[in-house]
Amino acid sequence: METAAAAAQPKQAACAIDRAVFEAFLFEEARLLDMRRFRDWMALFAEDGTYWVPATADQQSPFNQVSLFYDDRDLMKTRIDRLEHPRIHVQTPPSRTAHLVGNVIVDEADDAKGHYVLSSTVIMVEYRDDQQRIFAGRQIHTLRRNGDGFSIVQKRVNLINCDSAFEAMALPI
Amino acid sequence: MHDGGAATVADLVEPGRVHRRVYADPDVFELEMERIFGRAWLFVGHASQVPNPGDYFTTELGRQPVVMTRHRDGSVHVLFNRCTHRGAKVVNERCGHAARMTCLYHGWSFDTDGTLVGVPMPEGCAADFRKEAFRLARVPRTGEYRGFVFASLARSGSSFEDHIGPIKSNIDDLVDRAPDGTLAFDLGVHRYVFNGNWKLQVENVLDSYHVPFGHASTVNKEGVQFARREGDTSGAQVVEADQGKTAQSWKGRRSYIVGNGHGWTSNTALDDGKRSSPAFDAYKRVLVQRVGTARAEHILTPRLHNTLIYPNVSIMGLNIHVRVIKPLAVDRTEINVYPVRLVGAPDAMNFGNLRLLNVTHSAASFVQTDDIEAFVRAQKGLRCHAPEWVDISRGLGAEEPDRELNATRGSAMHEMVVRAQYKAWIGYMREVA
Repeated sequence: METAAAAAQPKQAACAIDRAVFEAFLFEEARLLDMRRFRDWMALFAEDGTYWVPATADQQSPFNQVSLFYDDRDLMKTRIDRLEHPRIHVQTPPSRTAHLVGNVIVDEADDAKGHYVLSSTVIMVEYRDDQQRIFAGRQIHTLRRNGDGFSIVQKRVNLINCDSAFEAMALPI
Repeated sequence: MHDGGAATVADLVEPGRVHRRVYADPDVFELEMERIFGRAWLFVGHASQVPNPGDYFTTELGRQPVVMTRHRDGSVHVLFNRCTHRGAKVVNERCGHAARMTCLYHGWSFDTDGTLVGVPMPEGCAADFRKEAFRLARVPRTGEYRGFVFASLARSGSSFEDHIGPIKSNIDDLVDRAPDGTLAFDLGVHRYVFNGNWKLQVENVLDSYHVPFGHASTVNKEGVQFARREGDTSGAQVVEADQGKTAQSWKGRRSYIVGNGHGWTSNTALDDGKRSSPAFDAYKRVLVQRVGTARAEHILTPRLHNTLIYPNVSIMGLNIHVRVIKPLAVDRTEINVYPVRLVGAPDAMNFGNLRLLNVTHSAASFVQTDDIEAFVRAQKGLRCHAPEWVDISRGLGAEEPDRELNATRGSAMHEMVVRAQYKAWIGYMREVA
């Protein structure tokens, strides 16, 4: 029988890479979003990478239910072109955001294949036009080793209020 | 109203302008809840949202919670979602399945047609207590056309047929695209809210004039919007390349009105001859098999960009969906956007439509977000007491009859459709029940 202390230990996957390396990757990704360096953010994604924010809790697939975001690289580029357009009214004035990423757990690790799945808690505070709001949830990053670094195969953000009615959202979380 | 009475309401609408209070006055909003949302035929939901006996779907008509159910005999019921005992909202989930709807408070339970079937400790009921008198209240009138369920909260008024008749063919235009001839609303719902009056969204759905500037951020350097239909590689030419001027093809769009506040805009010019993708081609083959080549060609020839069935629902013909407008307060509105599944079409076709709808009409979409910003900004601006009037006069007097379509038409760059909506609005608002 597990002791209470043992049960409280997160079930980390056995992995040759220190968790701090993954954390640094996630922190950098969040920083790029906060700095509005969207093209650099997109460059973190693999060519077949997707960014997914489901619109229902425990959503199984982006193909049979609506999603808040389900962008492949092409759509990401269209989204970012728009974010850089001078007449994007919903970003006049632009948002400022602060991401906090924590509680990072390595859920899956396959060092031979260079395949890793991380889950972490994300909180994004967004301020725009005299209004501040909070997005929060658990994000799942599926990574592929890419040289010394990683490419994002999928970033999925499970917002706790994914099925609520939202005010307009312009920025990725 | 500050100074009360229907005569005052009538003064808020003139031929080419409406008073700012139409959007900004809470008293006008209260009157709208009574006289428009309390009377008009409102879209409730689609029958496919309650496919099996015991299925339910909850929504609001005006601000009143209702539940749409499927009864054992297959009939669809629209019931006020309010316990007949002490008033609690009975069904709290957005949709689900339950053989009985049981109130959380004292456990009264109701059948799917609203019949009261269970009262705990019945020995305490008054001597003359009759369960029949405590069934869930039905909305006074309901009507259905090809799965689209409507309800009126008034016992009398224009018939469902009179209301829906002139705009039925626009529903057909969407439903006929399904090889099985029916739609399913089972792909989820996009929900967004904004701090603005409900009519800002209603007016917007048929407003083509705002697109070149309002959606400037959605077109590329060539003035072309991204693809919005499965099988297209690009979208409409909205502005001329590198000139910033509205494209001739966009300017050529027309609007149509048919009474009751209903209307539509003509199709978006796209190169339909080149529309092709594995999913679209497979869909087209299925449709041809079902209805024949000539009929399939007719169905796939775009005629409509967007249709408004006044006052609370629109059907998008371009990238197909149904949008429901829910007023919450004078300056707060919720919108629900349902992708429609074309029953009988290959999954890949339906999934293609679904994915494109994420891009155009989710709360995080490329298109809808700039509209929402415009609504919010309009609501803020309309706090100004000067000027008192909102101008809707573009194209006033330029309307002309379209005998073939039995409609009145005008340029979609004009505001004929908005004037038609206010003609319906004042009709509801002035009439004392």
